[in-house]
Amino acid sequence: MNRKGGHLLGMAALMLMATACFSDEPPGAVPVAPSGVGGQGSGVGYPFVYENWEVFTTENTKGRLPNDHIFALKADGPRVWIGTEDGLACYEDGKFKSWNKKDGLPWQVITGIDVSPLTGDVWLALFGGGLCRFSGGRFEHFHQLNSGLVNDVVYGVAVQDHTIWAATTAGVSSYDTVTGEWTIYTEKNAPMEEIWCYNVRYNDGKVFVAVWGGGILEWDVKLKRWRAHVDPDGEMEIDLYRDDGLIHIITTAASYESGILWASTYFGVSRYDGRHWRGYMDHDSGLVSTFVNSINSRDQEGWACTDKGLSAMVDFPTDTWVTYKKNEKGNDGTAIVSRGKQVIKTVPTKGAIPNNFMIYVEFHGDDVWAGTSKGLARGIGRGRWVGVRAEELAKPAEAPQQGGSEAK
Amino acid sequence: MRQIERLSFVVLALIVSWAAVAAVQTETASPQPAALPQPPERYGNTPDRYMPFGHFAEPYKRFFLEPLEFLGPGREKPEPEGLKSIKIGFLGPIEPTVSVATGGASHEEVLGIKMLQGMQLAFEQANARGGYRGRIPYELVVRNDNGLWGSSGNEIIHLAYNEKVWAIIGGIDGANSHIGIRVALKAELPWVNTGDTDPTFTETKIPWVFRVISDDRQMCYLLADYAYQKLGLKRVAGLRVASRYGRVNIDEFRDGSRRLGHPLVTELQYKVGDTDFTTQLERIKSLDVDGVVTYGDARESGLILKQMREMGMTTQVFLASDRIVTDEFLRIVGDNPGPVVAGYPYDPTRDDPKLEEFRKAFRKRFNEEPEQYAAHGYDGACILIEAIEKAGLNRALIRDALAEMKRYHGVTGDIIFDAIQQDVTPASLAILEGGKFNFYTREQVLGSAEADAREASSQSTSPTL
Repeated sequence: MNRKGGHLLGMAALMLMATACFSDEPPGAVPVAPSGVGGQGSGVGYPFVYENWEVFTTENTKGRLPNDHIFALKADGPRVWIGTEDGLACYEDGKFKSWNKKDGLPWQVITGIDVSPLTGDVWLALFGGGLCRFSGGRFEHFHQLNSGLVNDVVYGVAVQDHTIWAATTAGVSSYDTVTGEWTIYTEKNAPMEEIWCYNVRYNDGKVFVAVWGGGILEWDVKLKRWRAHVDPDGEMEIDLYRDDGLIHIITTAASYESGILWASTYFGVSRYDGRHWRGYMDHDSGLVSTFVNSINSRDQEGWACTDKGLSAMVDFPTDTWVTYKKNEKGNDGTAIVSRGKQVIKTVPTKGAIPNNFMIYVEFHGDDVWAGTSKGLARGIGRGRWVGVRAEELAKPAEAPQQGGSEAK
Repeated sequence: MRQIERLSFVVLALIVSWAAVAAVQTETASPQPAALPQPPERYGNTPDRYMPFGHFAEPYKRFFLEPLEFLGPGREKPEPEGLKSIKIGFLGPIEPTVSVATGGASHEEVLGIKMLQGMQLAFEQANARGGYRGRIPYELVVRNDNGLWGSSGNEIIHLAYNEKVWAIIGGIDGANSHIGIRVALKAELPWVNTGDTDPTFTETKIPWVFRVISDDRQMCYLLADYAYQKLGLKRVAGLRVASRYGRVNIDEFRDGSRRLGHPLVTELQYKVGDTDFTTQLERIKSLDVDGVVTYGDARESGLILKQMREMGMTTQVFLASDRIVTDEFLRIVGDNPGPVVAGYPYDPTRDDPKLEEFRKAFRKRFNEEPEQYAAHGYDGACILIEAIEKAGLNRALIRDALAEMKRYHGVTGDIIFDAIQQDVTPASLAILEGGKFNFYTREQVLGSAEADAREASSQSTSPTL
């Protein structure tokens, strides 16, 4: 027996031991338990796959989409708001409308959008231009010199009831639109090791702030108390244990849905169910890249915008992922369905995300909207189901024409 | 019953495992030499003894070992026509302001102005050669970055979107530099830093960022090795400035002390601008230390040392950051400073025609001697110019050209870039001898002590967290 063979045999034995010690399943069992509609007891299950994508670019919309560099998206009833590097756009009933500085928009680079469910006001995070309320056709500008906004470089905005939260490069500001009171949170009154805030989201009574170098901060609206989620090993150059907490403190976004917190970093994705953390990297899961620009969640799905495509963790119990990529040639793409790291199916898609450098993802009913460095796309979610189910993948739906034909 | 089956299975697996290991050991005894495994590439030239959790566990994942990539679009953008100048943004502390970060007055202008001068010299020399590809002059668009927290972010926005610069160069303060590079990432703008020695600056995986100066990771490893292995210190106290620079840049020395089994006996702070350190020094004196490590500016560090000696702490070794290596420090500490040693990012006294040529040109242009910020600023600017000349006027391509540069011979020496585009050139040690700083390499000051330490480290069972 040579050295390599000995090591392999030893490793195999140790793996068997580990399986026997730590798994409730006997060796040889296939730990696949489909969840969701139609999945019970059916063995292997498949997730819904977006097979049809409608692409919008400045070129194919004849300039109605003002810029291809998409930074933010927000679904709002029948509309989808789009923040670009050069203006604001709105998609509704197949038509685009856009605004720029000449229309009163205070600054052209929009990095965050949220909409007040109470008033319908659209709040814009302006990258270097402060904060803006778009209401009644007017833009109201809040900045360092006329408000309590702590810094004009605003990366994200979130609406919590009648309070507006702004994630800035020098802390968080909150603005009570009823009382007009501003509150600033920095290292002086919040558990921020650093104050460079990159993203903020609100849901179910909690505000989550992704702090670059400070992990994820959670604000409990009722208790008015901060809680910090950080990387337990405290080291920048390693992740000591996979599931001990947040993968890394250089976080880019957080999303909270159905009691699940998702956090994106440039080192992978973390999922927290309130009791257990789970880390995902490109070598141990279906996540296509660890460089994750942002994350959004729907039901119990986590959608990661990476520099190599859009990876969605669509069923946690079976570790099922779908990654959407644009093919190297042509305008179509490929959906890669995997269980953990193991690819179980590849599905050709008609149309695709327009570029694999994903920046933002948003959900509009069953549709998914993908913002990239070079264009926008809508995945048609007709017939979508949640989780995995035993049926074969859905038949391709009637594909809309490519190239934003609905743009009028 | 199931538990018994599982136990039987474990026993069986153990037997198989033992047999496999025995087979390997038998193989090891064979006279045929086996190929040694390649040593894993390590981040930041970190010795085993300084590896986080090195004696406890192999990390699940080690970061920063693979080259950073920018996979987005932009390389296809054509070069614009009709440009009158090639704008490069400069961001650094050059004007005195009120600084929230330091709790009072700003304090880094003296460093930032030198950095700017080094860069100005490089761009002026490039323009004397005809400018960009012999056709268009370079223009340095200068902005101050040491205002209130976050002002650097606003400045970079304006440089990126209003001035439409091709790249940004500069940065000394760690907080401002971090803010800046996040903006550069979003705006997709190359950033060459030449003055921020905060190790975490590049530990962010931003593919647009490059650092042309050895950081405090490199300097602290050398300083700690010298303190504990060469000098045999056992009890070192920390006294550092209460700012992000003091908190973060001392990190590797603090961690290194603990990993070598000599955790700092205390770590006290002072504010920028303080002149009386009696309270802290009395506390430190009572702890019977054999060394004091400071991280702060030259003036405060000089005053600390002077007061230490006046209080009778005459034998304690004074360990410090590179910022003490200045004439100002020497003036303050006077004739009897006692043992003083600092990390330094390069050897400014080495015999190198390129360095001498730079010195002459700098003296001629500014009528003064260049120091480390000027020298690294000059190297950073030359590297950026070389990348732009190669890539053309396209931000993504300029980034690529910078990323391709793995080595560069500059006025600060042979610069080595690692996978995350930072300068990992071995640091120097500055030792105060006869009223001036002399500079030594790791080999010169450690020599056999290093080999002994490696041996000790490999056999050590002391905890290294």
